[in-house]
Amino acid sequence: MHSLIQLSIAVLLLPLLSFVILIFFNRRLPRRGDFIGVGILGATFGLSAYIFWTVIVQHYDPAFRVAWDFTWIDFGNVPGVGPLVIKMGIVIDNLTAIMLAMVTLISFLVHLYSTGYMKGDKHYGRFFAYLGIFTFSMLGIVLADNLFAIYIFWELVGLSSYLLIGFFFEKESAADAQKKAFLANRVGDIGMWLGILILYSQFHTFSYHEIFGHLAAGEFGMSHAWLTAAGILLFMGCVGKSAQFPLHVWLPDAMEGPTPVSALIHAATMVAAGVYFVARIFVLLTPEALYVISFVGAFTAFMAATIAITQHDIKRVLAYSTVSQLGYMVLGLGVGAYSAAIFHLVTHAFFKACLFLGSGAIIHAMHHEQDMRWMGGLRKNMPWTFVTFSVATLALAGLPLSSGFMSKDAILAGAIGFAQAEGGGIYYLVPFLGFISALMTAFYMGRQIWLVFFGESRTHLKPAAPDDHHAAHAHDDGHEGEHHAVHEVAWNMRLPLVILAALSIFVVYSPDPLDGGKGWFMHMIQTPATVVGETVHAEPALHMEAGESLAAGEGHEVVPGHGAAQMHAETHTEGHTFADPRQAEIGHLSHAAHNQAIMISSIMVALGIVLALVFYVFRLIDPDKTAKAIRPLYLLSFNKWYWDEIYNATVIKGSLGIARLLSWFDANIVDGVVNGVATLTRKFAFANGSFDRYAVDGMVNFTAFFVNTSGAFMKKLQTGKVQTYVVMVILALFGYFVYYFTQLVY
Amino acid sequence: MLSLIVFLPVIAGLIILAVPSSQKQIIRIVSLLAAVVQMVLAVMIWRGYDPSLAGITAMAGGMPEGSFQFIERLPWISLDLGNMGSMNIEYFLGVDGLSITMVILTALVSTIGVLSSWTIKKQVKGYFLLYNLLATAMMGCFVALDFFLFYVFWELMLLPMYFLIGIWGGPNREYAAIKFFLYTLFGSVFMLLVMIGLYFSVIDPLTGNHTFSLVAMASQENYIKDAILGPDNAMWRYVAFIVLFIGFAIKVPMFPFHTWLPDAHVEAPTPISVILAGVLLKLGTYGMMRINFPLFPEVFQASMYVIGVFGAINIIYGAFCALAQQDLKKMVAYSSISHMGYVLLGLAAANSEGMTGALYQMFNHGTITAMLFLLVGVIYDRAHTRQIDKFGGLASYMPVYAGIVTVAWFASLGLPGLSGFISEAFVFVGAFSSETTRYIAMVSVLGIVFGAAYLLWSLQRMFLGKRKDDAAYDLVTGPDGQEQIHFHDWNGKLDLDGRELAMLIPLVVITIFLGIYPMPIMGLMTTTVNHLVEVLSPVMMAVVN
Repeated sequence: MHSLIQLSIAVLLLPLLSFVILIFFNRRLPRRGDFIGVGILGATFGLSAYIFWTVIVQHYDPAFRVAWDFTWIDFGNVPGVGPLVIKMGIVIDNLTAIMLAMVTLISFLVHLYSTGYMKGDKHYGRFFAYLGIFTFSMLGIVLADNLFAIYIFWELVGLSSYLLIGFFFEKESAADAQKKAFLANRVGDIGMWLGILILYSQFHTFSYHEIFGHLAAGEFGMSHAWLTAAGILLFMGCVGKSAQFPLHVWLPDAMEGPTPVSALIHAATMVAAGVYFVARIFVLLTPEALYVISFVGAFTAFMAATIAITQHDIKRVLAYSTVSQLGYMVLGLGVGAYSAAIFHLVTHAFFKACLFLGSGAIIHAMHHEQDMRWMGGLRKNMPWTFVTFSVATLALAGLPLSSGFMSKDAILAGAIGFAQAEGGGIYYLVPFLGFISALMTAFYMGRQIWLVFFGESRTHLKPAAPDDHHAAHAHDDGHEGEHHAVHEVAWNMRLPLVILAALSIFVVYSPDPLDGGKGWFMHMIQTPATVVGETVHAEPALHMEAGESLAAGEGHEVVPGHGAAQMHAETHTEGHTFADPRQAEIGHLSHAAHNQAIMISSIMVALGIVLALVFYVFRLIDPDKTAKAIRPLYLLSFNKWYWDEIYNATVIKGSLGIARLLSWFDANIVDGVVNGVATLTRKFAFANGSFDRYAVDGMVNFTAFFVNTSGAFMKKLQTGKVQTYVVMVILALFGYFVYYFTQLVY
Repeated sequence: MLSLIVFLPVIAGLIILAVPSSQKQIIRIVSLLAAVVQMVLAVMIWRGYDPSLAGITAMAGGMPEGSFQFIERLPWISLDLGNMGSMNIEYFLGVDGLSITMVILTALVSTIGVLSSWTIKKQVKGYFLLYNLLATAMMGCFVALDFFLFYVFWELMLLPMYFLIGIWGGPNREYAAIKFFLYTLFGSVFMLLVMIGLYFSVIDPLTGNHTFSLVAMASQENYIKDAILGPDNAMWRYVAFIVLFIGFAIKVPMFPFHTWLPDAHVEAPTPISVILAGVLLKLGTYGMMRINFPLFPEVFQASMYVIGVFGAINIIYGAFCALAQQDLKKMVAYSSISHMGYVLLGLAAANSEGMTGALYQMFNHGTITAMLFLLVGVIYDRAHTRQIDKFGGLASYMPVYAGIVTVAWFASLGLPGLSGFISEAFVFVGAFSSETTRYIAMVSVLGIVFGAAYLLWSLQRMFLGKRKDDAAYDLVTGPDGQEQIHFHDWNGKLDLDGRELAMLIPLVVITIFLGIYPMPIMGLMTTTVNHLVEVLSPVMMAVVN
């Protein structure tokens, strides 16, 4: 076993150990065992950092890959298939190494942060236990080498998310949110599961590597449409987990969970798992599937950004911003900007974790006030939080010198390249929505920064209302009452902010602040060659057509067969290699669109900031009056496009209605038939019984009665008197004579 | 060995008969001892079982040895029928991959059922007598390889079950008991006819006589060509398949023959619900795998699609009905119907993944549903109600109970890492891989969502949030100054007590262990399932014909 594999197994299992220790023994440990959680995660991060160092720094090879597996289930010699085993295993490549380091670092920082944020909570120890099982499941997703394993860990992160969203389960809204999150994810999961089933049914394996190999060899036995369906269905898993339209509704509600959880799970890692998964299966996505993905991503980015503009809750703004940014990543994968999407995944993880932890610090300092309308002026009271929050905001808004600038521009450049490669038209909608969303991102983040940190404190403006946060959180941090000084948080909450803010600066990823492509990241994560490209798959006729158009554009001819495609591999300036002409063309055009993208997005970001200044800093335009002026649009945004109401009225009401209907059907029709049969049988039995009693038995009784009666009559004749007998003889003779003479007459 | 494991409970019953009915504790302990020894024997059989032997059919030449294990075979009843030959009924026991897991499950669930019966207060002696008779009958069904013997055990189950529900059950117990009894009896009457038909159609190659041996019946070459159920009589074979199928489907229970189950569960005392859901339902699908399908493989081939559709109906219909229930036990009963649908779907797939998934699902459903009914019993004992809306916020006051409920509920909704997931997953893998049932599988996955819906919803209503105003318990201040709850008429421990933990912890451990590493159980069945798939495959039938 490779030493990296051994290390990664330790990385995987250590957080599970933390969970097991803390779930059973936290009450018996000093400090409820938080040092165990933090310590174990520290060690886990150390090991991950070592793996990262070995893979990324020492090997520095885009094609690095180590794999290991073992037989999990042995089906024996299956008729029609032959020996069949289901394997589980680990694969470590550059993507894994980066994700491992990112996940464990953020998890460690969140553990550390939680020792401050969650201090004094009733279930303090259990919180760290849940964080442990979440980290375990998330690392499982990252390390898994097959679809079955990823599905297992996929649902397990769903469970951890469920447990953590509902951590304050006594609040009805938290209990609702956790159920909603799990069910929305399950809807996505059944799609993902069907996608897995399509691939398994053809190749009898779950391993990515083997599936890709079979696909590349053109062994997919079903039609091309099924392959596209498999891609879209697998993507449904991402739609659920990464909160893409139409399953995005759960993520904002998930903010019911404690804020460190929002940072770790619902911003940085778990929701990015969907994007990670699509990246893993990227090579089997057909162009048709990619269209769907790019449009879903673009629409999600746009829609969520429009909602973020009008929210008052500091966490809700960030939540919709997360949905929007995830939309960018999905858009990036859809358009084929593979490395840019993953780049954005990582940069977003750091700056969004920073933002959430920053907002947590604010909420903590403000005693569970989450409404930005009652904040303001915090830059003086919380300088550390202010600076780190601002750095992360710049990265999110995509200002130059930040990490987010590089990654977002790479995605937008990819979108332009994609639209050009597909021949424009409707495809320009994808970059268009992307740029509009960039504008809105700059706007809502400018609004947030201003409302929270600048101006004067508006705490006193808050209308008096029963504050249920205090009761629900049951925090006992020594600050009771409404009006008291707001202090900067302690070091254990400050340090994570500083580290995460530092990781939002360009220099970590690339020496050139304007071009992420020049850095180590884009070199290590390169677009893998598709295994379902036109050169590999599709019917000959279709293939010729596609081939010709591409050949005309690219100036080289396309020959069927994977090997041939590789011969025509095209090398770009950054050393990116594309085996597939479609990918090559998009890559080519994206590269050309790089400067264009920077320009447009810079203009958009500047516009957004200017708008924010106009509305909130200089107050040239009153936001409230504007809201009134465009009331329908404002309400649409404020009410989140009414998706919750729509789903409530259709899916949820519908399901419950069907349930009640079927239950009635069951009790009255199905069981009614059974009871009816029983009743009929009884009726028949009673009828039968009556027949038996009155007819059959009646005959018997009648016979007896007849014999009895006739006997009684007859016995009267036996008087024993001679006179009577003589009379009877005479009567008999008389009768006989009468008969005889009548016979003679006639 | 097998005779011992089958008749041990009856022996315990005989001992109980000698104990005066006032000695309740002795009666309970004797029953528990018998169950524990049965469990030990089951483990010994498990250890001694060779998973490389196929089962289902005999080896070449008709010898069951080398295919079945732990065989015990004696002539039992011989009747001279004059010119119709003679009636030879054997006492024929043995296990293969189909039955070995069910033997383990039966021993496990019986033991837990005895523990759960500790709370039975009424007529303890009579209760345990019947309980032990039931345990024998169930075990006998799974190891009988002679159709007549199987039938005897099958019918023998009805009697104790009827009285256990009818005497120790809830308010409407007599209705439920008679419904259960008549429904099952209705199914088995036809089984009797088919059994006799089969007897006159099959020749044991070893003796040249007619036989009730299921092993001989499973090989199509043993059928007399022009006999009533011989290969030439296609029509009668269809009829026989269908009536046998209905007989077993009632037990599963399959829509539309399922309505006895919610009634029986709601009325039955907790341990009997555990037995009913944990073991009895499996007899239906076991009967299909052991008798119905391999004896009539060509009819099975023709009906796979229909069976799959009924499986899908069970899954989705059961889930919807569960969603609408107010009574927790009724909800769990409908969840049983839904989960047994997965077994039907897996069987309809007729490939190794699907059938293994189905058989594994039978085992897992046994352990998980036993857990669910035990947990329902726990709260019913305390609150004397099972109305979901009469609770709320229990997680704050009964954390251990809430924790185990969470594990059980998530196991039931098929969370990965718990055993139910693996079986359901492979049912879907198999059903989707088979072209016959592909589209059925695509519809059935909806069951995954609605399964989660009713379970999470009930979990929320009972355990999360705060106490409801009309809850079945009061809030009081405990001795430590903390707020706690108080049930009326309950003086026991608020959270789970030792006996309840002793029942639940083993099931939790098994559920988690088999969810992570399924091979200890799955490994027992793969060879047999592969052989069964071969026996049922059209290729094999072509060879025979």
